[in-house]
Amino acid sequence: MFFPASVLTSTLIITLFLLTYPLVLSLFSAPLKSSWATTHVKPAVKGAFFVSLLPLILFINFGMEQVVSTWTWSHTLTFDMSVSFKFDHYSLIFTPVALYVTWSILEFATWYMQDDPHMNRFFKYLLIFLIAMIVLVTADNLFQLFIGWEGVGIMSFLLIGWWSGRADANTNPRRHPSHNRVGDIGLIFALAWMATNMNSWELQQIFVALKGFNVTPPVLGLIIAAAGKSAQFGLHPWLPSAMEGPTPVSALLHSSTMVVAGIFLLIRMSPMIEKSPAALTLCLCLGALTSMFTACCALTHNDLKKVIAFSTASQLGLMMVTIGLNQPHLAFLHICMHAFFKAMLFLCSGSIIHSLGGEQDIRKMGALHRQTPWTSSCFIVGTLALTGMPFLSGFFSKDAIIEAMTTSYLNTWALVLTLFATAFTAIYSVRLIYFVLMPNPRSMTITPIGEANPQVLNPLKRLVWGSIFAGLWFTLGINPLKIPVMSMPPTIKLTALLVTIAGLLIALWFISPSGARIQTTLFPTPHHFTSMLGYYPTLVHRMTPKLSLMWGQTAADQTIDQNWLEEIGPKATATLSKPLITITSEMQQGRMKTHLLFFFLGLTLMCSMIIY
Amino acid sequence: MGAHLVRRYVTETDTEPDPTKKYEFDPQFGFEEREAREMVATQDQMNLAMLPLEQRDYCAQHLLKLMKCKRDTFPNLLACKHERHDWDYCEHQDYVMRMKEYERERRLQLRKKRIASQPEAA
Repeated sequence: MFFPASVLTSTLIITLFLLTYPLVLSLFSAPLKSSWATTHVKPAVKGAFFVSLLPLILFINFGMEQVVSTWTWSHTLTFDMSVSFKFDHYSLIFTPVALYVTWSILEFATWYMQDDPHMNRFFKYLLIFLIAMIVLVTADNLFQLFIGWEGVGIMSFLLIGWWSGRADANTNPRRHPSHNRVGDIGLIFALAWMATNMNSWELQQIFVALKGFNVTPPVLGLIIAAAGKSAQFGLHPWLPSAMEGPTPVSALLHSSTMVVAGIFLLIRMSPMIEKSPAALTLCLCLGALTSMFTACCALTHNDLKKVIAFSTASQLGLMMVTIGLNQPHLAFLHICMHAFFKAMLFLCSGSIIHSLGGEQDIRKMGALHRQTPWTSSCFIVGTLALTGMPFLSGFFSKDAIIEAMTTSYLNTWALVLTLFATAFTAIYSVRLIYFVLMPNPRSMTITPIGEANPQVLNPLKRLVWGSIFAGLWFTLGINPLKIPVMSMPPTIKLTALLVTIAGLLIALWFISPSGARIQTTLFPTPHHFTSMLGYYPTLVHRMTPKLSLMWGQTAADQTIDQNWLEEIGPKATATLSKPLITITSEMQQGRMKTHLLFFFLGLTLMCSMIIY
Repeated sequence: MGAHLVRRYVTETDTEPDPTKKYEFDPQFGFEEREAREMVATQDQMNLAMLPLEQRDYCAQHLLKLMKCKRDTFPNLLACKHERHDWDYCEHQDYVMRMKEYERERRLQLRKKRIASQPEAA
């Protein structure tokens, strides 16, 4: 059966059209009905998902890929910018995954946000975000990628601060642009370097013209950009703060799509990054540090959504480690697998939090496995997939990454940190299951517990199918882009599993009932260190503004006000004038001796003029 | 895990070969009957299949058979087990060959060092 190449382009253009049509229609039509989100947006995304399956099937069956250049944006003598789309391995697989996850989240959001008076605007924001994300992943030039990059950043900021009536929801979104902007500077630097040295922003042209260039500076800019967007260590505090937003926002943006944009950028630019061993080492070490640090923070936190956010940051660190191992296809596989089970975990947490009347503290939950069996089952499947339980979706990507890491001859420190992070993942996952779902109820007695709503259950069921089978489908259906690592001793092969089991046993030991009395101490304990997030926000977020304000006060008050405006300005006039005034006023006191002095001085002057 | 690291950085720093650099000893040294490996898959075949550069190795013919099998048996994802095994086994044999070459180079370096130290001992 022969399919012309235009089928690929047409189906993907139809996908984009289906997503933009509700937005454009809302601009020109009468005021929207309250059911507009349910009748227009959700079916549009659902239809776009099914349409996007055709190019995926064509890719899997025939290996069909395409680059489409349409309209020329800007055309100078030597520099062209055009609207071009790259439909390759990465974009053809990610688009249906993102649309599938978004479809489930939108259906959940129709229930979650039903009492919100601006639900239509919320759905519009989500749709704009989705379009920006697809523009980002299908971009064939860095300028178009940058447009998508900024688009997802802006929508993330608007959506985190959705409940603007709450003080925390107003203050916490400010962390997001402040950290992301630092990353954006890196991306802009990389863009500038490529424009000046390679005279192009087209990916094909950049990769072909790499020979002879020292690519370390622009690659460092790209890594900084990814560190900002994907919450790597140093620019990570915005991700737990972003949990102030509604749960559908956390599920879509801050677990599946937006946060992986940084990693996706590095995957796209991997032909350039692999030319710089220093950059690869930086990715490896930064990713390992992020993975370990955020896993430590997740061990001791009690807010359900924040624990899942730290877990997301830890998995993003693992993806960065994979980039450092020069295995971008494995990082991409983990992005796709992670999207399924992490979105499902967030939706489960949203359902649980709503069922308990807004309670987010896991210490005040419990025994939900009897009251919400479907949600509990999906939650357990999601956490097991997260830990890399064999033959769930997370296993296929995570195990492959750890095998590649243990058989490499790279930084042993990064390897050890990542193994610790893997163990910690198992520990906090078991901790979550235990506190949230078992054993005895610790919540308020009268709460709206229930999951009989199909708008809650259908998305969870859809995502649980993906969390269980997606790994198998992807591994069987799609050939790897690099030779997989398969020759290793049995100990190395079983490292991931052994480390996870060790973490599981440690977690079971910790949560076992203990008769020992917990003693409080005067000195900070490791628990305090992790529950305060390593004191990082306190040190960085308070110290830097405090130093700036102190310097500003010194500059403005002491230097400008007290020195320039006082000592040198008016006061200088007074200081200089005072002695003269004193002398002059002393002379005009009406004293006889002063008059006689001036008389004899005048007489002496007259005599000397007459004589000479 | 780690034995090669100890040898490389602690015990045999001067004789441990660097796998990223060309080996010092000729492949035919002591192996006169050895023949050069030949690619089975041709350049044209690999170009038509649009294989990435990293996958154009001495096992590419098995990969091409696997890709053809997957295309012919789609949507049955569970098919082509034998072709996949053939490719994996070929890659494993290639890995074993690389490790043997590395070990050969390491032993030849040790032999060279041993020979150089014998006149000094005498």
